[in-house]
Amino acid sequence: MAYSGVTPTARSRGMVREARHLLLTVAPGATWIVIFLVLPSAYLMGVAFMTNGPYGLPEMPLSLESFRRLAGFGFLGWSPGNLYTLLRSLWQTLVSTGLVVIVAYPIAYYISTCRARWRPIMLLLVVVPSWTNQVIRTFGWMNLLAPGTPLSNLAEGLGFIAPNMGLYPSNFAVTLGLVYNFLPFMVLPLYAAFEKLDTAQVEAAQDLFASPVRAFWHAVFPQTLPGLLAGIVLVAIPAFGMYVIPELLGGGKGMMLGNLVANQFAGGANWPLGAAGAILMLIATFIGLFAMRRIGKRLGGGEEVVI
Amino acid sequence: MRKRALKRCLAGFWWFTLAFLYLPLAVVVLFSFNASNSAATFTGISLRWYGRLMGNEEILSAFANSMILAITSSVVALGIGCLIGYGMYRHRHRKLGWLIVLIYLPIVLPDIVFGISEMAFFVQIHRLTGLLQPGLGTMIIAHVTFQIPFVALIVYSRFVGLDPTLFEAAKDLYASPVKRVVHFMLPTIKPALISAFFLSFTLSVDDFVISFFTAGPESATLPIYIWGAIKKGVSPEINAIATLMIGAVAIAAVISLVFSRRRQA
Amino acid sequence: MSNTITAEATESPTEGSTGTAEQVERARQASSIEMRGLHKRFGRDTVALDGVDLTIEPGEFFTLLGPSGCGKTTLLRILAGLEEADDGRLAIGGKDITEVPPHKRSVNTVFQSYALFPHLSVRENLAFGLKMRGMSPQQRDARVAKIADFIKLGDLVERPVDQLSGGQRQRIALARALVNEPDVLLLDEPLSALDAGLRSQLQVELLRVQKRLGMTFVFVTHDQQEAMVMSDRIAVLNGGVIQQVGPPREVYERPVNAFVARFMGHDNLYPVTARQDARLTTPLGELTTENAGGEGGLLLIRPETLDLLPGEVAGDNHLPATVSERLYRGSHAEYRLEIGSSTLQATLNNRGRHLPEVGDRVTVSVAPEDLVTLGE
Repeated sequence: MAYSGVTPTARSRGMVREARHLLLTVAPGATWIVIFLVLPSAYLMGVAFMTNGPYGLPEMPLSLESFRRLAGFGFLGWSPGNLYTLLRSLWQTLVSTGLVVIVAYPIAYYISTCRARWRPIMLLLVVVPSWTNQVIRTFGWMNLLAPGTPLSNLAEGLGFIAPNMGLYPSNFAVTLGLVYNFLPFMVLPLYAAFEKLDTAQVEAAQDLFASPVRAFWHAVFPQTLPGLLAGIVLVAIPAFGMYVIPELLGGGKGMMLGNLVANQFAGGANWPLGAAGAILMLIATFIGLFAMRRIGKRLGGGEEVVI
Repeated sequence: MRKRALKRCLAGFWWFTLAFLYLPLAVVVLFSFNASNSAATFTGISLRWYGRLMGNEEILSAFANSMILAITSSVVALGIGCLIGYGMYRHRHRKLGWLIVLIYLPIVLPDIVFGISEMAFFVQIHRLTGLLQPGLGTMIIAHVTFQIPFVALIVYSRFVGLDPTLFEAAKDLYASPVKRVVHFMLPTIKPALISAFFLSFTLSVDDFVISFFTAGPESATLPIYIWGAIKKGVSPEINAIATLMIGAVAIAAVISLVFSRRRQA
Repeated sequence: MSNTITAEATESPTEGSTGTAEQVERARQASSIEMRGLHKRFGRDTVALDGVDLTIEPGEFFTLLGPSGCGKTTLLRILAGLEEADDGRLAIGGKDITEVPPHKRSVNTVFQSYALFPHLSVRENLAFGLKMRGMSPQQRDARVAKIADFIKLGDLVERPVDQLSGGQRQRIALARALVNEPDVLLLDEPLSALDAGLRSQLQVELLRVQKRLGMTFVFVTHDQQEAMVMSDRIAVLNGGVIQQVGPPREVYERPVNAFVARFMGHDNLYPVTARQDARLTTPLGELTTENAGGEGGLLLIRPETLDLLPGEVAGDNHLPATVSERLYRGSHAEYRLEIGSSTLQATLNNRGRHLPEVGDRVTVSVAPEDLVTLGE
C-alpha cells in the first residue's frame, strides 16, 4: 500500500479540537486580565503623555509636560521637590533591602540548622505577621514610635531626637516599617536555598581551605545566591512603589514615589503627572525582573525563580 | 567550641527578630484593652473599646463589605483561575509565553500602579458609559484580577504533579468528558482548590491599596475604615478592631499548622 | 457482546477460585483485532507508524516487540483510542472502531506507571470503570469481590493506594482493567518497573490469568526474553513498520532480516559472498544449509547450535577455530572463537564433557538444518 501523505481529516480534526479546548479554558481568564488590567495599564501609560486639564483629568494635546514636572520643572521654575522624592524612594529601597538581607540571611540559615520538625513552625512564625493587614501592622509601629512611648523616650535620652518629637513621623520610621514589612519575603527564598544546600561541598571546602570565612564564601554563598536574588527582587520592587508605610510613618518629609503618584489621583488631581510616576515604577519593575532572569541564567542553576 | 558559640548567637538573634516581628502586633493587642484613651501609657484593663465596636454601624458595614468582597471575588477567581490553570497544563507543550506573561502581570505589577490603573480606567468608562460605578462591583473586579493568577498557578502545579497517564486511565475506564471532570479532575485537585480559595480570600482581606483606589463612597472595607480612622487621629477603637483581625489570622495560622502536621503524619 | 464473568454464579466445590476461572473461560467469547494501513505522524516529520497491517486472533497473547521509538506504544495507544491514527482502519471483534472515543471502547489498558487514582481507595479504583458505565453499587461490589478473589488480592482491597508496593500496584492495575471484562486487554510494559525476581514471578501469573480467561491480550515490551516467554505470537517493529510476525520460535530461529536477528540477540551474522544451491561461501569458510530457499545475503549461526570438537576433525560443515575467550556460567559456557579474521560466538551446555580452554585449537561443527539465511 502506497503511503500518500496524511489524510487531512483525522489530523486537522484533532488540531481543531485542541485549539477549541485551549480557547475554552484560557479565554475567560485571559480576556479578564486583558480587559481589567492590560487595557487600564495601557490607558495609564497613554495618560502620562497627555496634558493636565482644569479638573485634573487628562486632555489632548499629547505632551511631555508631566515628565518635565516629574523632573522638577513647574510654573514657578525648577524646584527639587519631586526629584528629592525620587531619590528618597531609591535610597529607602536600597537601605531597607540591604537591612532585610542582613537580618534575613542569618535567620534563614538558623532555621535550616534546626530540627526538621521545628522548621515549619519557625517559618510560620516568620510569615504570620505578614498575614495581618499592612495598615494594621503599620499602625502598630505608629503606636510603638509615637512621642512618649518607651522607645521614643530611649531615643530622646540618647540624644538621637529632639525632645517630644517621637520617632515618627520620620525617614527612620519608614525604613523600619519597610524592613518589618518585607522580612518574610527574603527569609522564604533564602531558606529554600539553605535547605537545598549541598553540605558535601561545604565539607570539601572546609577540608581544602580550612578557614570558615573562605569556606562560607566559596561553598555556601554561591549556592544561596539564587535565593538571595529572588528575595532582593521580591523586596526591592514593591518597596520602591510602597504607598502605605511612607504615608503613615513618613509624614511630609518621608514621601516616596508611591505617595507622589497616589496624590496626583486623589488630592493633587494631576493624572498625567501621576501616570508618569507610575511609568517610572513600571520601568523599575521590569528592570528588576529582567536582571533577575539574566543573573539567574548566568548562575546556570537553570532554575526558574518562582515568585 | 566556636561552632556552638555561633549557634548560640544565632539563637539569640532569632529570638530578637521574633520580638521585632511580634512587638507591633502585641502593642496593638495590649492597648485594645487599655482603660484610658492614651496611646502611650497603659492604665488598666477594660473592654470598653470592644463595646464601642458593637455599636458602630460603620464598622459593621465595613466588616460586611470585606466579607462580601472576599467571598464573591474568591469564588469568581476560583472558577476562572481553575479553567486557565487546567488550560495551561493541558497545552503546556505549546508555546504559551504570552499567556505566562499575562498570568504573571497582576503579580509583578506594583500595588499602587495596579490600583490607579484600574481607578483611572473605571472612572473613564463610567464617564463614557455610566457602567462600572465605583463601589463593591469595581472592587470585586479588581480583586478577581489579582486573584486569578494565584488560583491558576496553584491548580496548574497540582496538575503538573500528577502522573499524566491518570487522565488516560480515566478515559480508558469509560469516563466521558463530563464524568472525567466530575469523578477524576475535581476530586483530584480538591486540596489545591481549597488552598487556592483560602489564599484568594486572604489576599482579598489583606489588600488595602487596590481596594482603596477602586472603592466607592459606600463600599469601605475594614482596612479602608481603619485607614480613615488613623488619618482622622488615632482612636483606641482601632486597636480593638485590629486585635480582632489579628485574632482571625492567629486562628488561621493554627489551622494551617494542624493541617501541615496531619499531612506529614 | 454480553460476556459476563458472573453469568454462571455456581461455585465449583472442588477448587475454589480456579472454578471461577473455568466458568470465565467457558463464558468468554474472545475478540479479534484487525488493523489496516495504520499511519501516525507526530509533528512534521516524526513517523511513528508507517502503514501497519496486522490481524490478532481471538484469545491470543500477542506481543508488540521493538526498541524504544519503534511505534509499539503508539500502536497500543491507537488500539486504546488514546491516540488517533492519521490514516487506516481498526476493528475489534469485527466492528470498526476507528473513530470511537476511548471511553466508548470495550478495551482496557494496564499502564506502565499503573495510573492508580490517588484520590480513591483500592476498592474505588477497582470499581471506577464499572461506576462510569453506570452499574449499580451492588453489582459493582459483587464484580470487585469476584476479581479480587480471582487475582488473589486478599486484603489489599482495603488498603490506601499510597501504601502499596510496586508489585501490589501492578496487580491492582491488572484487576482494575480486568474487572470491566473488556473485549481486549492492552498491557503497556506493565512489568518494566519491577525488579527481576518479582518480574518473572508476575510474568508467570499474568500468563496464567490470560490462559484461564482466554481473553485477547496485547502486550508491549522491549525485552525479547519476556516476549518469548509470554507470547503466542510476536510482532517485531522498527521505524513504524512491522518487520516480522510469528510465534516466538519462528521469530527467534528464523528471523527474516538482520534487524530482527540482532534484536532477538543474535550476533553471529556473516555476509554470503557466493552461493551455489545449498552451498554458501562466507568469511568463515564453505557451509551447507538446508534453508537456502530465500535470497538472503546474510548467514545466521545461532551459538547454541554449535558443537566444539577437540583438535582438527575433517568433515562437512566443520570449521577449524581457536578459542580466544571463555565465560564459564555453570550451566553452560560461552565461547569466543577465531576463524581466520572472523570471530564466532558459541554456547556449550555443560553436560560434564570436556570444555575447551582459551588457546585450544578446536573444530566447530554445525548441522545444515540449523543454518539460516536472511535478508539485510
